[in-house]
Amino acid sequence: MRGLLLLSVLLGAVLGKEDFVGHQVLRISAVDEAQVQKVKELEDLEHLKLDFWRGPGRPGSPIDVRVPLPSSQAVKVFLEAHGIGYTVMIEDVQSLLDEEQEQMFAFQAWARSTDTFNYATYHTLEEIYGFLDLLVAEHPQLVSKLQIGNSYEGRPIYVLKFSTGGSKRPAIWIDTGIHSREWVTQASGVWFAKKITQDYGQDSTLTAILDSMDIFLEIVTNPDGFAFTHSKNRMWRKTRSLTPGSACVGVDPNRNWDAGFGLVGASSNPCSETYHGKFANSEVEVKSIVDFVKSHGNIKAFISIHSYSQLLLYPYGYKAEAAPDQQELDQLAKSAVTALASLYGTKFKYGSIIKTIYQASGSTVDWTYSQGIKYSFTFELRDTGRYGFLLPASQIIPTAQETWLALRTIMEHTLNHPY
Amino acid sequence: MREAETGRGRSRLHAGSAAGLEPRTPVRPGPRAAVNRCAPRWPVRALPVRVDARRTCRVDLEFTAERYGPEVADGRLGRCSARVVFRHQKPRPAVNVTCTRFMETSRRRREDFLLYKRAKRLRAPLGATSIPDSHGWIDPSLRPIWDLALLGSSYVMWERTTQTLQYYMAQLSSVNQWKTNEDAIDFDYTVLLHEFSTQEIIPCRIHLVWYPGKPLKVKYHCQELHTAQEGSGTEEGSAVAPTQPNNF
Repeated sequence: MRGLLLLSVLLGAVLGKEDFVGHQVLRISAVDEAQVQKVKELEDLEHLKLDFWRGPGRPGSPIDVRVPLPSSQAVKVFLEAHGIGYTVMIEDVQSLLDEEQEQMFAFQAWARSTDTFNYATYHTLEEIYGFLDLLVAEHPQLVSKLQIGNSYEGRPIYVLKFSTGGSKRPAIWIDTGIHSREWVTQASGVWFAKKITQDYGQDSTLTAILDSMDIFLEIVTNPDGFAFTHSKNRMWRKTRSLTPGSACVGVDPNRNWDAGFGLVGASSNPCSETYHGKFANSEVEVKSIVDFVKSHGNIKAFISIHSYSQLLLYPYGYKAEAAPDQQELDQLAKSAVTALASLYGTKFKYGSIIKTIYQASGSTVDWTYSQGIKYSFTFELRDTGRYGFLLPASQIIPTAQETWLALRTIMEHTLNHPY
Repeated sequence: MREAETGRGRSRLHAGSAAGLEPRTPVRPGPRAAVNRCAPRWPVRALPVRVDARRTCRVDLEFTAERYGPEVADGRLGRCSARVVFRHQKPRPAVNVTCTRFMETSRRRREDFLLYKRAKRLRAPLGATSIPDSHGWIDPSLRPIWDLALLGSSYVMWERTTQTLQYYMAQLSSVNQWKTNEDAIDFDYTVLLHEFSTQEIIPCRIHLVWYPGKPLKVKYHCQELHTAQEGSGTEEGSAVAPTQPNNF
């Protein structure tokens, strides 16, 4: 027995490899104290270069050990000779490591920097969250990431803050992805984030805006829904909250705001796509924004982005009465869609929610407007129904580019018309 | 299962031509200021209408028809005007459409036949398909399936459309059967229709039989969802009170 172990010492000295080819991980079961002692003997043989992942303890407690290839036979023979049972947990440690490396490189390939990030494809939640961190790391003076809450299923809710300084400066809020199936919106949000960092210092309008105002951008406003569109149901719209007493899941986050809540224009049926929820702000995804807006207290423009239909809308959705600022909002909307169309000729209609699309109660911008945020707008991006939610990825960048022109118009107007 | 044959007199939109009609430019109401004229809210820019079940609602439209397919150079097919009449809030409006300078019949027939030939050669992926996929991609070789799926869907959508409900075909979700060994294309499939303003996604099983030049045969069955109680305000809607067990 000792002879065999000695042989392995020599072999080990000769080979002395650094990599883990052929290394195995054994799980040893020592059934009594005597067997535990035997395994401890093995531990003492340094030349075997055993690496105990889980050392010998009480009898019955599994012992895991990585065994280099040169020591493999010796160890197994030793264990067998003493009647100590074992199983091979990992056949080849190196292949496992190779696999891990591959995955890590793959990860790095799509997330090494925001310059190599692919804006012309749809991404997963993890990829977008990775992008946020990259952007902040690349532009620490301009961009920071805030967590405004956690989703129903416990996912962090992040908002990017673009700021050149000051304290509680008047701000512009933009959100995308509140309805998870509207994938072109989250994708556009990612593009907007990058665009802002590129244009600050280059585009005079954006620079002027950021020199006196802050921009808040929430890209994945409904992370649970978004994850669900990737994993189970591409057409999922709502949150993923459970409703006691119902088998149906989810609340329409664009009917859950405290503006005309529960009135005509939303459904009280939990199974409906426009279910308003048990009460206003029942959804944490909505409440997080409400709390943020209230505590910030200085938001001057609020833009919530949806798809599809190619519309630019302003309050109200829940009632037909014209908003007090209707004329100004209408004029601004007109300028914004004109700017949008200037790029690719994409035609947008505009007007109040109720007149242009349909009656909707408890909607986001009706609430923000009621809070005194005059420039409250909702976008419905491309297209008008040919592809609908399943907008080809090739249209992401053109959509984001043209929409940005409209956003810029609204932001500039907000800057030039302080209130 | 609803069965229907789209005959010539019923609707010229569905004369069996698959040479894609799609209103491309924004539709706008015609210039007539007639009695009983009203317009559906969406997508036409309209005045809010209090819907009266006794009335008929007539919409006059003008639009441009274009090829429906991968971007083609000569896209425009013609200018069309249509009159759509809804009666008593019911679906299946009467539609009368005329187009000027439309594609000549001989060319239309040729195009239909080309589609037919491509379809005959196609081996459809049976079962759950997702066309387009989540990223909006349609494999060019599968295009004829999608075109025919849309053709059948357009019929179903017309039958369901009301003054306040309209549809788009969101996705072809499964191909149940694709038979091309006989003369006609026999296609059984499921689509997801996106309904406005409810935002519901409605699965519809459709069975169509198509031969170019002949009237399209369509049978379909759409899944009835939960009975949506629209925005009834404060009441609990469909929350049904638990029934007492019967003692019989």
